[in-house]
Amino acid sequence: MKRPWHLRNGRGQNWACVLLLFALLPCGRIAAQNATVSFQELAEQAAAARDVDDAPRAIELYTQALQINPKWEDGWWSLGLLRYGSGSYASATEAFSNLLKMSPQSAPALALRGLCEFEMGEYSQSLADIRNGLASGAAGDARQEQILRYHEAILLTRLGNFSEALKTYSAFAEHKLSSPDLLVGIGLAGLRIPLLPKDASADQQPLLTAVGDAAFRFMAGEQEAAQQAFQDLFQRYPTARNAHFLYGDLLLAFGPEAAVPQFKKELEVAPDNSNALAMLAWTLLMEDQAEEALPYAKRIAEEEPKRVGSQLILGRALLDTGDAAGGLEHLEQGLKLQPDNLEIHLALAKAYSKSGRDDDARRERSLCLQLRKNGATGLARP
Amino acid sequence: MLPGLRVLNRVFAICALLLLASTVFAEQKQDATAVCAQCHASQALTQPHTGMGRTLQLPGTDPTLNSHPRLTYQKFGYTYVVETKNGESTYSVTDGTRTITLPILWTFGSGAQTWVFEREGIYYEGLVSYYPSVDGLGITIGDTEITPRTLDEAVGRRLPPSEPVACFGCHSTNAVKEGQLLTLGSLEPGVKCEHCHVQSITHMAYAVQGQAMETAPPDLRKLTSEDLSNFCGQCHRSWETVIRGPWKGELNVRFAPYRLAYSKCFSGTDPRISCIACHDPHRNLVTETAAYDPKCLACHALKGAQAPTNTQATAKACPVQNNDCVSCHMPEVKLVNGLTTFRDHLIRIAKSGTPYPD
Repeated sequence: MKRPWHLRNGRGQNWACVLLLFALLPCGRIAAQNATVSFQELAEQAAAARDVDDAPRAIELYTQALQINPKWEDGWWSLGLLRYGSGSYASATEAFSNLLKMSPQSAPALALRGLCEFEMGEYSQSLADIRNGLASGAAGDARQEQILRYHEAILLTRLGNFSEALKTYSAFAEHKLSSPDLLVGIGLAGLRIPLLPKDASADQQPLLTAVGDAAFRFMAGEQEAAQQAFQDLFQRYPTARNAHFLYGDLLLAFGPEAAVPQFKKELEVAPDNSNALAMLAWTLLMEDQAEEALPYAKRIAEEEPKRVGSQLILGRALLDTGDAAGGLEHLEQGLKLQPDNLEIHLALAKAYSKSGRDDDARRERSLCLQLRKNGATGLARP
Repeated sequence: MLPGLRVLNRVFAICALLLLASTVFAEQKQDATAVCAQCHASQALTQPHTGMGRTLQLPGTDPTLNSHPRLTYQKFGYTYVVETKNGESTYSVTDGTRTITLPILWTFGSGAQTWVFEREGIYYEGLVSYYPSVDGLGITIGDTEITPRTLDEAVGRRLPPSEPVACFGCHSTNAVKEGQLLTLGSLEPGVKCEHCHVQSITHMAYAVQGQAMETAPPDLRKLTSEDLSNFCGQCHRSWETVIRGPWKGELNVRFAPYRLAYSKCFSGTDPRISCIACHDPHRNLVTETAAYDPKCLACHALKGAQAPTNTQATAKACPVQNNDCVSCHMPEVKLVNGLTTFRDHLIRIAKSGTPYPD
């Protein structure tokens, strides 16, 4: 049996086209309604109005029909779409929410509610809905996926999750899908500026575009072009905060040693960049260069003692330079700050094992397995 | 001679020796292992013939390919052909209308074998590998969930940038510079002495001057079990590597350091449970399970013994038997492709019918 189209998780329908269609709809007069018509008649009239692009009348008719039958899922879907298309984001959100009460896994409804929330500035909720929609299969075709992924990336940036944003952008780069807005978006994520592309000032645009272009090339696998683009960027903007950090972060894909010089340069440009300091120390640790990491680790722990990453890095640096007791002290502090941090448990397992505390080491390893089972991942970036 | 001049002289001498060493061993490609054998014969003469010593093979040197001039396999509507003629091998995939043929330049593995290819600067792992268990081709371990949609995808899995470095870094020597750049021009196939014993080239140069002891690479036998587990785990995958990585389920039975570290009897400070307590990396892997009994009995008391013959062997005795411990407590696990079997290093009381403990 054919399912209602809002429940078909992205297959067969193309709501991206529908959105475009509604953007072009003419505004029409709302006709007077006959109060005595049946639900069935109203539903048919609403669909007919929708099909001839008479959005205002269709909205009115769907609203009336839904007052008679509020369990009509297709009605809420159509009403939500019409309201979204006419820019009534709050009422569109309400329509999609009514639908989602009845069909919580309706991927297109989740995605569209997320896009409404984006327009209303409810960014956290928007990101959650868009991601849930994607996870439920809202990306039915390439165009829909691009719209949702782009919004996901700019929202992640706006909310300060820059690494995740860059990961999302990398899918565009792999498929060589670029645009000026996309480059600005990548630039914002790369320079760790929590803004939407539309909110970046005109003064910022050339720098953001240059950063976005260099990172895009890197993520597209054009290594030589990316290297050149980054060198040009560093020449044109030698004091741009986070530019070297971004390059180092990208170079981590090739191994820690490539990244270390960039983190060091970032600290020359911005000595107070605690992210660069943490990454430098962590990268050195992952490269078994604990002796070199130790001074940076001490510095980051001094500057940001309440950051779990600081305790992790210093604990690990002490452990790997032979001070298991000192290392344990900081790792246990880190554990208090974040009890479910997988890296802390990995480091504790090692520390206990090296100290001959076999039962404690085994307990920590059990916790690692449990955390991994629950979806925790190790840190490439503390 | 003035002390300052003596120091300067010494520096020049060392530089000259280092230069000589690098020239001899890198440019002339003389086998450094032969030089190591002059002092470390018992290790250096046997190690090149081990699985690790032969874990990467170059064209014309692979006995498997030489003895199998034509291997074929069909899957997903594609036909794979691995052909060897006059010491040169190719890997072809066809969908019946179009064929992609690539030269086999690097054969990874000495038993089961996988091929890595370079196409336009990007590395790929062949979707099909050779398995001794069937004396033929099958889907590469770890790639069983891939269903290629195009002929190009049917060639193999595109490797992310860090993976070729890891592949060549573990399967060969001198193929990676500064931990990140592939330097395949200087690649030496397989694990050579300097792969594990860092600075051994410098050590050789100094040894000529009679200063072997001062420049000896770190003695790996002195590492704790925990540190050795992490050292060997750089290639065989340590506890941390696997926990951080994507591998889950039976596929991770391949990673012995990871499995061993979670064994109840593993102790980071007890040398009786370290990797080298059971395995000599300079010799071929011993596959007779009974050969490992003394290793278990170094810790575990003998069943039925009135008093332990070994005062260190204080761990509980096995109530079943005193021999062939490995067969029960380290069961073999067959991977999902059914073509490869690994000995599980998670030492435990394994009960039949229980799921694989991840």
